[in-house]
Amino acid sequence: MSRVPYHELKARERIAAIVDPGSFSEIIPPPERVMSAYLPKLGIPVAFDDGIAIGRASIAGKPLYLAAQVGQFVGGSVGEVHSAKLVGLLKSAARDRLPCVFLVESGGVRLHEGSSGEIGIAEAIRAVFDCRAAGAPTIAVIGSDIGAYGGMGILSACCDFRLMTEHGRIGISGPIVIEKWMGKEAFDSSNRALVWKTSGGKTRFLLGDAEALVNDSTDAVRDGILSLLSRSAKPDLAFVKARQKFLQERLDTFGKTPDPDAIWAALGIRDVAAATLAEASEFVESFAPKKP
Amino acid sequence: MTNLLARFFGDSASGITLTDKIATGYASLNGSAVCVIGTVEGTYINDAAALLLSAQVLDCIESKPGMPIVMLVDSAGQEPNRTAEMLGLPFYFGHLLTCLEVAREAGHKLVTVATGKAIGGAFLCYGMFADAIYALDSASLGLMPVEAMSAVTKIPVATLQELSKTLPALEFGAGPFALLGGVMEVWPTDDSLPAKLSAAIDAATTEDTRALLGKERGGRPQALDVQQRVLAESAA
Amino acid sequence: MEKFQQSFPSKQVAWPASRKWALSGVVGSGNLEVLIEPSAAAPASVSYSVETSFPGYKDSWLAALGDFASHYAVGGTTITIHDQGASPIVITMRLRQALDLLTSVKP
Repeated sequence: MSRVPYHELKARERIAAIVDPGSFSEIIPPPERVMSAYLPKLGIPVAFDDGIAIGRASIAGKPLYLAAQVGQFVGGSVGEVHSAKLVGLLKSAARDRLPCVFLVESGGVRLHEGSSGEIGIAEAIRAVFDCRAAGAPTIAVIGSDIGAYGGMGILSACCDFRLMTEHGRIGISGPIVIEKWMGKEAFDSSNRALVWKTSGGKTRFLLGDAEALVNDSTDAVRDGILSLLSRSAKPDLAFVKARQKFLQERLDTFGKTPDPDAIWAALGIRDVAAATLAEASEFVESFAPKKP
Repeated sequence: MTNLLARFFGDSASGITLTDKIATGYASLNGSAVCVIGTVEGTYINDAAALLLSAQVLDCIESKPGMPIVMLVDSAGQEPNRTAEMLGLPFYFGHLLTCLEVAREAGHKLVTVATGKAIGGAFLCYGMFADAIYALDSASLGLMPVEAMSAVTKIPVATLQELSKTLPALEFGAGPFALLGGVMEVWPTDDSLPAKLSAAIDAATTEDTRALLGKERGGRPQALDVQQRVLAESAA
Repeated sequence: MEKFQQSFPSKQVAWPASRKWALSGVVGSGNLEVLIEPSAAAPASVSYSVETSFPGYKDSWLAALGDFASHYAVGGTTITIHDQGASPIVITMRLRQALDLLTSVKP
């Protein structure tokens, strides 16, 4: 069993480790030089793929569309070309009724490209729902330290499923922004334990926002994706009504609770300290309450 | 604020409830009933606000088959808050969007008018999801003002301002946003608003034409081509 | 930004049938990406194209690029670089990685 840590790998390495060997066929690969027209005007170096590699691949023989964001390139942020690649990929998946898997690593909209990335993410969110309407599963894999923030956090929340590791985080405002707004007393962004307990995979899994929590290895991520590939959750009225009730209860119950550990305890974690240290699989098996 | 609601809906604006500047309810537009959700007076939108809006959408789906949903946007965004993040603000936003999608699939038309501030996550989590999006000419649309962009990117304000002359994506406002295809049309705030909104609802389709508009108008020259290129390469 | 191009003589690359290009690295602080592609021209020469956001180090670049060309067989290729302040050690490492990726046996 390979123990290559997912969170340490770069985007293209993640793709290579997860898909069937040689099965990744890149769409608009780097030599096509489809790049940002904004960054050169700002004196910032461009990337051949504008920070996202997209293509077709297979996992255990099952065909799918796949995207991997490059977090090191302007924070994995989404500009005009980047978002257009995402939208095109999603539309392809909807057309072909194939799953669309995102290896998310992004702080959200790329500030340097202003509204163009914002509108692009809005288009991508519509395209996610096109996939869901077509019965093509959409899966967001969030397992990098950079996480899925801002518009990419919202997009990830709109997908059928989220597969996370304990390294992954989903949020709207990042920790530094929160600290700036609320003050260091209220939220210390340098307190990594607090940051990860607030938005990280374990908390998301406990609250029911992430359908799967797996260990930080490419094999575990691959297996996790496989387990979600044949499921699709087209939202209907019954689903959203239940979700409304569920989210209202969450807010009513925990809305005044600032402390993640208190929430963990209230959700049934008896030994919070041990659960904090446990590896994902152990967390799911031994600490988290069993899902109905 | 009641002034703005009255401009669109006349006396029927009384059917719209304002709860902490979150608008929900039903009103009459040019003689036809519409569902109204939105934000007013530049308020922040948080998880509780999202639930209020989604509850209204659900009520509309259940009790008013086929009724158009008008989304008004005047919000400064979301307030960075540790509890909101811990409780999963992206999921409250995602839920609102999902409710709107269920409404769309059930035949409800979704039309947005940005009336004031329409910024970042607050706009993305409902307004930008419409079949068609419009803005008043006084509306502030965009990602963030140039000063804030400069503070984060460390690019001097003067540089960004100069660039925004040729890159409308960097400019804040209804006009530039329309050039990018982000809104269909910009409307002056006058007596023609009810007629314009009514016509907009009639004309709305579920096709997302923003990339096409962005190319035609020149504000987003690459988006449509790249999308279509991906579709073509993936079909080959 | 500083941009420049330079060719150097180099032994002809053994281009594998299975590959059309190879990419190493990422554009990030202190890092660079390197794209290696076949060149129609000059089989005994490598053509470098560099874009860097750290101007003023051209001599250092040319030394590293020239060294690489003389030690490795990359003749008949075009190597394009987007740089964000990588050190000479990192530059050389990424060039080697790109060549490794190109010629590696794995699909």
